[in-house]
Amino acid sequence: MGLFSPIAGFGVTLKQMFRKRVTAQYPKEKRVKPQRFHGRHVLNRYPDGMEKCIGCELCAGICPARCIYVRGKENPKDAPVSPGERYGFVYEINMLRCIFCAMCVEACPTEAITMTHLFEMSVTTRDDAIYTRSELLMSPEGDVPHPQPPSKLIDLDELKVADGWMRATAPAGRAAYEGVRGWTPTAGAGHRPPERGQSGDDGADGEEDA
Amino acid sequence: MPSQPDLVTFTVDGKEAQVPAGTLLIEAVKAAGVHIPHFCYHPRMKPVGMCRMCLVQVEGPRGMMLGTSCTMPVTEGMVVHTDTDTVAKAQEGVLEFLLLNHPLDCPVCDRGGECPLQDQTMAAGPGESRFVEEKRHYPKPIPISDLVLLDRERCILCARCTRFSDEISGDPLIEFKDRGNATQVNTFPDEPFASYFSGNTVQICPVGALTATPYRFRARPWDLEAVESTCPHCSVGCRISVQASRNEALRFLGVDNGPVNQGWLCDKGRFGFEFLNSGDRLDTPLVRDEDGDLVEASWAEALDRAAAGLSAAAAEGPGRLAGLGGARSTNEEAYAFGRFVRETLGSNHLDAQLGDGLDPRVLAGITPRAAIDDLERARTVLVWAPDLKEELPVLYLRVRRAATELGANLVVVHPRATGLDPVATHTLRYRPGAGTEMLRRLADGSGDLAAVRAALDEGPVVAIIGRPGLGDDPRLAEAVMAFAAGLPDAAVLPVTRRSNVYGAADMGLAPTLLPGRVANDAPGRDAAGILEGLASGDLGGLVLLGSDPATDYVEPQQAAAALDAAGFTVAIDLFLTPSAAKADVVLPALGFAETEGTVTNLEGRVQKVNRLLPGPGSARPAHEILEDLARRMGGSIGAASAEALAAEIAGTAPAYAGITWEALSWGAGREGIVAPGPEGSQPLAVAPEDHAPPPAARDLVLHQARVLYDRGTLTQAGPSLAKLAKEPAAYVHPEDATRFGIKAGAAVRLTGSGGSAELPVVLDPSLVAGTVYVPLHLGAALGAGLEISMEAVT
Amino acid sequence: MARADGHQNFIVTTLDKAMAWARTRSMWPATFGLACCAIEMMSTGAAHYDLARFGMEVFRASPRQADLMIVAGRLSQKMAPVLRQVYDQMPEPKWVISMGACASTGGMFNNYALVQGVDQIVPVDVYVPGCPPGPQSLMHGILTLHDMVMSGEAAR
Repeated sequence: MGLFSPIAGFGVTLKQMFRKRVTAQYPKEKRVKPQRFHGRHVLNRYPDGMEKCIGCELCAGICPARCIYVRGKENPKDAPVSPGERYGFVYEINMLRCIFCAMCVEACPTEAITMTHLFEMSVTTRDDAIYTRSELLMSPEGDVPHPQPPSKLIDLDELKVADGWMRATAPAGRAAYEGVRGWTPTAGAGHRPPERGQSGDDGADGEEDA
Repeated sequence: MPSQPDLVTFTVDGKEAQVPAGTLLIEAVKAAGVHIPHFCYHPRMKPVGMCRMCLVQVEGPRGMMLGTSCTMPVTEGMVVHTDTDTVAKAQEGVLEFLLLNHPLDCPVCDRGGECPLQDQTMAAGPGESRFVEEKRHYPKPIPISDLVLLDRERCILCARCTRFSDEISGDPLIEFKDRGNATQVNTFPDEPFASYFSGNTVQICPVGALTATPYRFRARPWDLEAVESTCPHCSVGCRISVQASRNEALRFLGVDNGPVNQGWLCDKGRFGFEFLNSGDRLDTPLVRDEDGDLVEASWAEALDRAAAGLSAAAAEGPGRLAGLGGARSTNEEAYAFGRFVRETLGSNHLDAQLGDGLDPRVLAGITPRAAIDDLERARTVLVWAPDLKEELPVLYLRVRRAATELGANLVVVHPRATGLDPVATHTLRYRPGAGTEMLRRLADGSGDLAAVRAALDEGPVVAIIGRPGLGDDPRLAEAVMAFAAGLPDAAVLPVTRRSNVYGAADMGLAPTLLPGRVANDAPGRDAAGILEGLASGDLGGLVLLGSDPATDYVEPQQAAAALDAAGFTVAIDLFLTPSAAKADVVLPALGFAETEGTVTNLEGRVQKVNRLLPGPGSARPAHEILEDLARRMGGSIGAASAEALAAEIAGTAPAYAGITWEALSWGAGREGIVAPGPEGSQPLAVAPEDHAPPPAARDLVLHQARVLYDRGTLTQAGPSLAKLAKEPAAYVHPEDATRFGIKAGAAVRLTGSGGSAELPVVLDPSLVAGTVYVPLHLGAALGAGLEISMEAVT
Repeated sequence: MARADGHQNFIVTTLDKAMAWARTRSMWPATFGLACCAIEMMSTGAAHYDLARFGMEVFRASPRQADLMIVAGRLSQKMAPVLRQVYDQMPEPKWVISMGACASTGGMFNNYALVQGVDQIVPVDVYVPGCPPGPQSLMHGILTLHDMVMSGEAAR
């Protein structure tokens, strides 16, 4: 116990007062989310407007919380909804049961379901938390509907930001994603910018035949 | 009993094992506990060695040889290796080859998730394919019948479907065509795959090349719940797996029950699940209001009305009430119904058949009674019964197997060509009404029937006997049974069609029987007597349990009139059938897959049916409804639960002694237990007699028989089967057509004992001249009488 | 004072608003951390997100001093009566936020041991999805509740 010990304690307090404040003023400012953040889901379309979902129920099968309900149906011959024979006729996710593990994204053979960066989904009744096709499926223009209106809390542009489990694994199951194109998370044949540690190659020459 | 076959000893992967000589290597190895991947091999069909997946190495004089284990019988001292690198490499190569042209559209394929090709690729296949070229393309999927779709891209040419249609079902309508890389399986041009057994090819297809239309894209295997049960559509009692998702039945699959169906189902059974999901199911009780309309009511109100009505009728005197039905219920429900009618209603007027069957004492107590499996060792099979292919299709498969694969003599006696004729050794035709004479000639065995008689004298004989058509006297069938029972080492299989009519008879739902095959000393009225009594006012009320006399009784119009005249009627049913629509109170019951219980098939085999679905609305199990009614009428039938009823049956019905749910659910009892049970008393021994022949032949006689796809309530309630019902027609012998001056396709007016109908003519040379054949339940109701008049309509 | 036609007069309306404002600015949560969600709830209270900005930094250990119950985590059948008792001990007005998948619906634990949604036990005002919901998600839920209180939707 030295002479200045009692004051040294105040010194800590004093020092803290001049440190940079860490508090995020949440409603006013938002923290930058990690690139692989798991927000709510979105059902994608191909650039030509066709739905990617083929109603195969693999997402529902893998879902550990069993929060996804899918039913397939035969594509109408004259106006097909998705390429191939089958499309997702019913698609529902109970967001309150969902644990946002993105195993559905991993299981999806057509990259129809992906996750976005929007997480503001608090609801006041349980029924509102069941997102149906009309709330999940993006429009042919690439806009994603959301049950709650845009506000200072809800930035609908976040729905266009895709998460990326695929950043860790390549389409053919190859561990390294380096230089491999093949994933189009949202409408349009876009390429993702490379992540930290990747070469910055846009993938055009490293294209892999899927 | 066949003698014990010789055993051979062989070595697989260093383990020694013994199997009977002649066993195929793939089966022998399975018995030794080693699994060999395979696609084309099916234990119920002949091996072909098409897919090459079951390669193993066998040590021989020239070293280790690769060979297909499905075509190689085990020999003494054989040394087999299934786990060497060479075998693994060979199987990998075969799989890579099989996958060359496979589209890998597993996510949209109905087979995805339960696909042998998927599973074995994961287990034994290569990680990647070296095939980078364009795959083979065909139009996807092409409908080859109303029920089956074919996707040739997915086909791996294992020949299971073609072998099934050729060997097992006997309608070879699907075959390979073209050669080399273009080899494909297909139907013949302009000839659909219209087999009654087409659904089996879907089940045995090891890929998704053949898929079923009713199940197309309805669910994936992982969201199906399944329970084993017994098919509710006919009295063969095929073991099935009922599969449902989200409380909706989506498909039935055949379960291999060796003594009964050996894994096969008919399409009516397989696709006949749709009635369970029908929107027409009754889901709330209905009562008749002052205006005479049926209106929805609460259970309390409906039960009160029903009990009041029945009590009022019962108060008029003893034996004023009657009960019809139970032939579609479980044994437990039938037993409860019997107790309800006998104890609460105090009446012996009780029947489960509607004038189209056999004497219930014969159904319950014929001896010696055959089991279906006796066909496996029969030298001669006599079929004097309905066309098995139309009425009991899986029994047809078993008889066909006996006649082809096992080489038994097959004698078919029928008024016209039947499905079994192509494989029959002898085919006899007779005019309905002249059956007694045919029997006499057959028993006599002289002249042109000498060869037939000689065949019948070769035992063991299995005689499958029923009423070939509506016009045939049930006593004729009894006479045939009496004749057949006298053949060497003979056993008789009495045949009627409705699913649990045998169980109903065993549970005492007959005027002459008490539960457990006990004769009733004070017999009541049968169905004909009950309807007569209702029409004349001798009976005051009726309870229907899943019975629809206005449609199914041999004289439907007569039954409808009787129901109209009936004082008070309560109907317990799944649908608002024409009979239920005439009732004063309609109570919705739970049906197949919604209740638990047991059923009895035509050989007396008791099998379990299980519950998977909750059922529509407020529908309740029939035994609960009956118990509630009994309590309101001041009694009780002690039906606390179906399980309690089952225990009571096992305890009190002599023939069912020891046949408990416990015994049926575990171990060997899962195949069903043939009543009389292990501790059961002897069944009623009925000695059918030769009865006097019916009046002599007339100018024209009517033959009416059922067809598989008719306009029955359960068939029409499902969209897939409803559209398969054909238009009614009159089948006329060409000679008669010339005599009456009519051509094929022209319309004739037929007038029978119970109505008349205008029908298009089809020429049918397989009839005996002077006979007109009209399929039953297709919309033409002519009555049960033999007499018919025909006139051309211009 | 409420009038017969259901409208409220100026003074009462303004007073209501003032009360609602006051309530939203000092909504004291009861401590009811049940599982992993509680970690996120604690970090919501810590420096980076600082619930004190909403006047909510005091997680009360006694329900008698709390207005808001944040059910953070899966509720087992055995815990359910305790939860109800705590809720009953809270003074009116009181609110409940069901935080995370397990509290809201049972989440991935669809089994006999867990209550499939705490709304079977207590009336829930706001459900916050997430497994677990991040501090920002929880704050979105809290702000949703504030909106409800301000609009009079969730006055209890």
